[in-house]
Amino acid sequence: MGILLRLSRAIDAINFRIGKVLSWLVVVAILVSATNATTRKLFNASSNAWLELQWVLFSAVFLLCSPWTLLANEHIRIDIVNSMFPKRLRDGIDVFGHLFFLLPLTIVMMVTSLPFFLDSFNIREQSMNAGGLAQWPAKALIFICFFLLFLQGISELIKRVAVMRGDIPDPYGTPRSAAEMEAEQFTATLKPESHSN
Amino acid sequence: MLAILAHNMAPIMFAALVIFLLLGYPVAFSLAANGLIFAVIGIELDLFRPDFLQALPNRVYGVMSNDTLLAIPFFTFMGLILERSGMAEDLLDTIGQLFGTIRGGLAYAVVFVGALLAATTGVVAASVISMGLISLPIMLRYGYDRRLASGVIAASGTLAQIIPPSLVLIVMADQLGRSVGDMYEGAFIPGLALAALYAVYVFLVTIFNPKSAPGLPLESVGYRDESGKRGLLSLLVLTIVSGVFGWLVMRDSGTHGADFVVLTMFFGMVFAFAVALVNWATDRAFGFRFLSKLAQQVTFVMVPPLFLIFLVLGTIFIGLATPTEGGAMGATGALVLALIKRRLTWDLTRQATEATAKLSAFVVFILIGARVFSLTFYGVDGHRWVEGMLTSLPGGQIGFLIFVNAFIFVLAFFLDFFELAFIVIPLLGPAAEHLGIDLIWFGVMLGVNMQTSFMHPPFGFALFYLRSVAPRESYLDRLTGKRMEPVTTGQIYWGAIPFVIIQLIGVALVIMFPIMVTHYKDTGPQIDPSKVKIEIEQPDLPPIDFGQPPNFK
Repeated sequence: MGILLRLSRAIDAINFRIGKVLSWLVVVAILVSATNATTRKLFNASSNAWLELQWVLFSAVFLLCSPWTLLANEHIRIDIVNSMFPKRLRDGIDVFGHLFFLLPLTIVMMVTSLPFFLDSFNIREQSMNAGGLAQWPAKALIFICFFLLFLQGISELIKRVAVMRGDIPDPYGTPRSAAEMEAEQFTATLKPESHSN
Repeated sequence: MLAILAHNMAPIMFAALVIFLLLGYPVAFSLAANGLIFAVIGIELDLFRPDFLQALPNRVYGVMSNDTLLAIPFFTFMGLILERSGMAEDLLDTIGQLFGTIRGGLAYAVVFVGALLAATTGVVAASVISMGLISLPIMLRYGYDRRLASGVIAASGTLAQIIPPSLVLIVMADQLGRSVGDMYEGAFIPGLALAALYAVYVFLVTIFNPKSAPGLPLESVGYRDESGKRGLLSLLVLTIVSGVFGWLVMRDSGTHGADFVVLTMFFGMVFAFAVALVNWATDRAFGFRFLSKLAQQVTFVMVPPLFLIFLVLGTIFIGLATPTEGGAMGATGALVLALIKRRLTWDLTRQATEATAKLSAFVVFILIGARVFSLTFYGVDGHRWVEGMLTSLPGGQIGFLIFVNAFIFVLAFFLDFFELAFIVIPLLGPAAEHLGIDLIWFGVMLGVNMQTSFMHPPFGFALFYLRSVAPRESYLDRLTGKRMEPVTTGQIYWGAIPFVIIQLIGVALVIMFPIMVTHYKDTGPQIDPSKVKIEIEQPDLPPIDFGQPPNFK
């Protein structure tokens, strides 16, 4: 278990770092898009490369931040029935889900998206739009995403088994505590009942 | 045995989906896994060709290259920055002072500010939390009924779901294959109507039970002039003069409809802001004021949200910007506003960025999961199965609408709107289309209905957020020093129920008066309806999308 947990920690560290860094592409996408909108209106100029850059940036964000989102347990679940189960069963469902839902999905996606990317890369596929970006980097993102997600699935599986064996404390909080955390964070930035009254 | 399986793949697959989802594993992966497992079964049964799954990467690529989805991170980021920019506090404080002395005044202020925040930040959690922290203690201090106070706060917070620019409407437009701009225009009036209904409810309560929503005593109201007067007349005059100014500017411009309203309001707002600015300057320089304190303060706090509303919604409504561009401008505007108010810190930006990235990841992954699911589900003719069931309901259009609304209302107890929008709506859309129902009208109606998913006790998220900031234990009021009772969870739940009913009245109104929504057809850049038809109807093509136009998944 020790080696596996070390592996899991390494995967977590990688995906955590990737997520944190790449999330900034959101801001880049906003600035690119705002600039596009302004130049389109004011100077009547627009370029397909810049327009395509918006969605490529956003794709990089949601694809490559999704392993980190999984790590943070922020992919939404329907927990209405689940929350009534005993903890051990819920952990069991997670193990089952990692093994039979997530990992097979990521494997199928890796197997199909690699040729999808290579076919595009081999012909250096260009955008359908005049002056657009090359298509293969965006297509490569799909493979990278599911590869990282596969790794994260392995890590989550290791951690869940370790939790069930009592080797480590549960890294997930409950949804309630997440809501309260957000409220607390938010409260800290508010000045309570400013003045008068 | 195998033949039975092969013939009933769609119902079996649907039943399996329900079980998979209820297991409580992340929705995105359960959906996708369901699609994969049944694709493998289908290949084994020779329903699909062995290379069936090769289509998957292309489906993901379709989601990626969909420009409209960009509006999701843009509006999310804008909301997250705004919620910390201090705008909500300023508004609640000032508008509370403005309405405070009349009976139910604080409750009206909450509804009013809730609607304004909905049109700017669009984040339910933020609205509910800030109102719960700022307005709730004041309402309690002056003896508001706890159920009324908590209900009106939770409900007003959920206005963010229906008043544009809401994420629900983007997703809904996407899933129904309609333009987001049309969906925004269609949802605007029903959203305002709901706010009005909340206010009517407060009014009725003050009539029948005046004690539950008393007005504030005059001494406790701020922004009074030295003479002790409130200066309401000055505000009224300023409002009227600004409106007339806007009208004069626009009178000969040849615009009409929504364009006229948007631009008139814009010029009126600029005028009022200029006047208030001059007033402020002369007051500073010579101690001379021609506006009351209150008028100046109200103008100053109203301008940032109104300007943002113009920047985002106004430009979308008059056809100047696409929703994606509007979102980008709004996000930039929010950054600038926070910078001006000196609230923009590195930490805030980082938190907003990271939260936006994670939200985008989970939302778009549900969409990806849904597309993997639909690849198989449409492959086994699941869409025809559902459509057949829905269109054979008795009562035609009305029967269908009543059934669907009842269905969504029940589901909203268990599912939140992302799940409803990505899984349920795509199945309903084609049937609605088949019955000749306008899909924007349909979407807005369901949007109003799905708002209840935030208010249903005990799982409604708005109630959840309110609970987390409402006092759990008795406390000493900081102003009066009196011991105050806590707000119980039961009070929060009971308080929400009248508003859930109001929501249903809202749905009924939208059904009875489609014009509240369908006026979108008369304004803005028009698309030829016959063209839209052609785009939508592609029932027999292999399932590239959810059987809907390719522009947007």
